[in-house]
Amino acid sequence: MSGGQTLNLFLNIGFPIALLVFAYLIGSLIERRHFANIRKRESELRGFPVTTFERLPERWQVSSAGLVSGSIVVSLDYFKRVIAGLRAIVGGRVKTYEPLLERARREALLRMTEDARRAGYDAVINVRLETSRLANAAGNGNSTAGVEMLAFGTAVKLERR
Amino acid sequence: MRYVPREPRDGINVSKTHALVEAGTLVAGFSLIFVLIVLVLVFMVELALLFVSPEAEARVFENWQPGDLVAVDADDRRLAEVDALTQRLARHWPDSPYRFRVAINDSEKPNAMAFPGGLIIVTTGLLDRVQSENELAFVLGHEIGHFRNRDHLRMLGRGMLLTLSLSALGDGSGAGLGLTIADLTLRGFSRRQEADADEFGLTLVHAEYGHIAESTRFFERVADEFGGDHGYYEYVATHPSPEDRIDEIRELGRQRGWSESGPPVPLQW
Repeated sequence: MSGGQTLNLFLNIGFPIALLVFAYLIGSLIERRHFANIRKRESELRGFPVTTFERLPERWQVSSAGLVSGSIVVSLDYFKRVIAGLRAIVGGRVKTYEPLLERARREALLRMTEDARRAGYDAVINVRLETSRLANAAGNGNSTAGVEMLAFGTAVKLERR
Repeated sequence: MRYVPREPRDGINVSKTHALVEAGTLVAGFSLIFVLIVLVLVFMVELALLFVSPEAEARVFENWQPGDLVAVDADDRRLAEVDALTQRLARHWPDSPYRFRVAINDSEKPNAMAFPGGLIIVTTGLLDRVQSENELAFVLGHEIGHFRNRDHLRMLGRGMLLTLSLSALGDGSGAGLGLTIADLTLRGFSRRQEADADEFGLTLVHAEYGHIAESTRFFERVADEFGGDHGYYEYVATHPSPEDRIDEIRELGRQRGWSESGPPVPLQW
């Protein structure tokens, strides 16, 4: 009777709360470290031009060009998912998702830029970002396993800038 | 044109609100809203009860059986015994509009439940564990107490309205929080109901036997069997924990001056 109730109460309340706390602690640790890592790599790539120009600026003399891309797949943690679920009832800015997508955008751009620099290019123009949602394991479209953020552009090697 | 290198800035696409502040605001706000909703539902059920007389309920549900819960075994002699005992106890509630019926549900968990129309369902787990007629009489008296206080309709009504309200939230985290809050809010009400049903049950037992010996024996045994691990969440448990319940029943007996000793009647099976 009571033993069963205690177990039920633990399963119904205690376990989700423990999972929430765990997900929040680990999730925010990973997020902090990722942002620190992103900032460090961004400052290393500071002088590398990444633009959304569709055409080359007139004075640029290009010796070679090629496609570069960078992508990242990110998933929500349980804490963000639960809080966003509550937010979805009343609507408004889904504040817990914002840092996640910000990380994804900047990471994808960084990977693309790093790819371009490694290949010996001097700049990337016509940069585009695309997002696609990954189906969850059940494939029923009710939830998502995560999103892919893809950054791609035309890398150019310059003779004279 | 000159290219001016510049790093991306933080804080443009990300809200300044800390994740925990966002979480706290949402959880606290929705908890409050859900508590209010549950209180409104409870009130609506109380209101609805005013429009359904016990006589009308007894008439409408006279022959109703929830098929999936009842496992009728004609050979089980215990069914006739439990039924006879129920009728004897019900005689001490002369104003009852119900024609009480008993059914046995095949389940290991010791339990007894009250259903509309005077149907009492006991589990085989309960029948396997009771060791005297007096123990069983108190459990049955408790269920009859639920009928007198109309708790069986309350539980049914609340359950239906709650399911309906929560289904509007889908199966997201809103529904999960709503269910938890509803559960905790209703516990307060159900504890009161259980105590009231205990009181009426004990009255019936005393009227039948002239003493209340053995009334708490069943709970003592259940408490032993399931160990002491229910202490943790005692304050929110649906039924008072067996120990508390035993204490309350004894205290009630003392207040009324009912004898706690008397010869137990053995079971006939």
